[in-house]
Amino acid sequence: MNDAHDDGLIRKAIGVLGALIMAVLGSAGLGFLLSPLVQKRDEGWVDVGPADAFKPGTPVQIQFVERTRDSWSVTEKRSSAWVLALDNGQITVFDPRCPHLGCPFRWNILDKRFQCPCHTAAFAADGAVISGPSPRALDRFESKIEDNRLLILPRPTQGHS
Amino acid sequence: MREWLKSRTGFEAIWKALFERAIPEAKGPVAWLYVLGSASLFVFIVQFTTGCLLAMSYAPTPDHAYDSVRFISDQVLAGRLVRGLHHWGATFMVVLVALHFSRVYFMGAYKFPREATWITGVCLLLLVLGFSFTGYLLPWDQKAYWATAVGTNIAAQAPVIGPSVAAVLKGGEEMGAATLTRFYAFHVLVLPALTALLIACHLFLVIWHGITEPPAREEDGAGDRRL
Ligand code: HEM
Ligand code: FES
Repeated sequence: MNDAHDDGLIRKAIGVLGALIMAVLGSAGLGFLLSPLVQKRDEGWVDVGPADAFKPGTPVQIQFVERTRDSWSVTEKRSSAWVLALDNGQITVFDPRCPHLGCPFRWNILDKRFQCPCHTAAFAADGAVISGPSPRALDRFESKIEDNRLLILPRPTQGHS
Repeated sequence: MREWLKSRTGFEAIWKALFERAIPEAKGPVAWLYVLGSASLFVFIVQFTTGCLLAMSYAPTPDHAYDSVRFISDQVLAGRLVRGLHHWGATFMVVLVALHFSRVYFMGAYKFPREATWITGVCLLLLVLGFSFTGYLLPWDQKAYWATAVGTNIAAQAPVIGPSVAAVLKGGEEMGAATLTRFYAFHVLVLPALTALLIACHLFLVIWHGITEPPAREEDGAGDRRL
């Protein structure tokens, strides 16, 4: 084992093995550290029931539980939204807070419009401003239908102009 | 006992190298500039000690961080003092290291052959700033949260890699539980380990090269060599 040839071979073997071990441990560690870059994001779609349960033309208020996930901790919050189904099966979901200062508005069955109790803002069924202090139409939640389930994303996208 | 230690450990040689080495005979106010490195070391040791104590009652989760810090201040015996020492020590550390850095710069003590000492010093300066950045978040109050939001947003402004750097710092797209545990791990494990290692290298180099004399003016005679 003392001659130079063997010595070189052992050194090389130790070098290669060492590099291999470092590569495996190193890439595992680096992956752990960089995991935020590849984590799949929980987009937050909420299933609020069968899509054909909504009668076309009349907005209804739905209640649901919204889960927000912060790494390992999940917070549950009661939330609501207004859902308007149209004859052609299209569905619009409104943020239940008035765009003026955030009061919960209601659907007035007689006048067929949304009314805010706080400062009398009024909106048409499609969310457009009819009267009052609201700076814009009702804010909407994104929604989609999958297998006849209505899914909504309870974060406001700015109301259409 | 002393003889036994001497024969078994060789500590005498180490003691001599550390504490009985030749140092510059600077006199007057200039001499005080030479304490800045040792003062940084002292404050680092204070930070280390008080930090170990704080870690015994601190919980790095969004649910408990703020309350555990309040608990330290209000309930733990001498908690307010220990937390205060760590808090003010953190600021003082930056001041001392900056002053030490300035003395080394203005005396030209970074020049040949002390470049390696300087480089380990620059790394130490960055580590100290890393401590400040990660430590600031830990109380998890409004100031802590928003300062870190600003800090990570600044990182996100860097071209191309900015957003990825910010995500790795925050441990995700948004600041939250993962940000706090990440910053905590860096503040109490990664940075102290690196800092201790670098201080060892730094001090080894300081002793290895010896400490620079204060720069002299020509009329003091130092320029005579030019004759
Ligand atoms: C944790 C922070 C630091 C500690 C604990 C530390 C500690 C020390 C100590 C005890 C000395 C002995 C001489 C003296 O005290 O003036 C020294 C010298 C030195 N330090 Fe630091 N230092 C730190 C940061 C820095 C920084 C940020 C720099 C510059 C980038 C630096 C550059 C140097 C150099 C070049 C010397 C040699 C000076 C000479 O030979 O006269 N150090 N350091
Ligand atoms: S909050 Fe609805 S009108 Fe002011």
